Amino acid sequence: MPVPPEENIVRAICSDKWDGERIAPSLFVGSDTSVSRLAIIPLEEHWNLFRSYVEKPPERILMLIGEINVGKLQEIGRKHKSAVELTVEPKPESRNLAHAEIPQNITRGLANKICPELKLHHPPS
Amino acid sequence: MMTLLSSDCYHLHEGLSDEVPSSEVHRPAPNEAAQEELFLQKLGARGWGRIHQFRNYYGPGWGEGQGRSLSPRAMAAFCQFLETATFPSGCLPSVFLTDRGGLELCWENADGKAVQVEFTSEGAEYYLEEGEIESMVSHAKMKALAEQLSAA
Repeated sequence: MPVPPEENIVRAICSDKWDGERIAPSLFVGSDTSVSRLAIIPLEEHWNLFRSYVEKPPERILMLIGEINVGKLQEIGRKHKSAVELTVEPKPESRNLAHAEIPQNITRGLANKICPELKLHHPPS
Repeated sequence: MMTLLSSDCYHLHEGLSDEVPSSEVHRPAPNEAAQEELFLQKLGARGWGRIHQFRNYYGPGWGEGQGRSLSPRAMAAFCQFLETATFPSGCLPSVFLTDRGGLELCWENADGKAVQVEFTSEGAEYYLEEGEIESMVSHAKMKALAEQLSAA
């Protein structure tokens, strides 16, 4: 069962994809994009969870967490000039039970529509 | 005559005895100093520092396990592009490492519209927000691409 449109998902944004000024659109380019479901694990717990497996090498630092509503993501896909029916499929993993994937191929043009819609969360001080 | 026993020999600690995979060791290229000058000139200290990190610290399997280390062919294409490219006054492009070992360069043109190029081991994929153009060119066309996008 795909993740319902009411849910919000998050994606880790590490230092290779954020330089303090811009977010790399490649954050969403390609297929099988990893995301995580806030309905399963709350945002505040995602900081330590993501850090436990994305900060490799240690120079790769979790800088931000980007949040988007699944329904909004799907709307962006449908409105794109080459419309895509985006879905979010639950793919729980032992390291992250909230893990899910967007299986469809996301082009750079579509990624450029998704990134500005992300709600950006900074690490808690 | 003194006889050496095996216990007299020095044994490297087990944790230090593995050979370092050669793919994780960065060997400076002969033209590296010129490249670094180019990065500083076109991308500023931030861009220069990021490329230094990408090629020295991001080995195979970086990130969540699937990240590829920076492709030498992508790097060569990136340098060829940068030699010709010009950017709007006051604009410092951003550089990112992609999961497939490419380099992604992002900036805005004089009208504030996004211009992006991803240099891969196969070629360069580019995107122009103006007109929503997405296309790909071979490594042989880096100079022409730089001229085209500098005027975009």
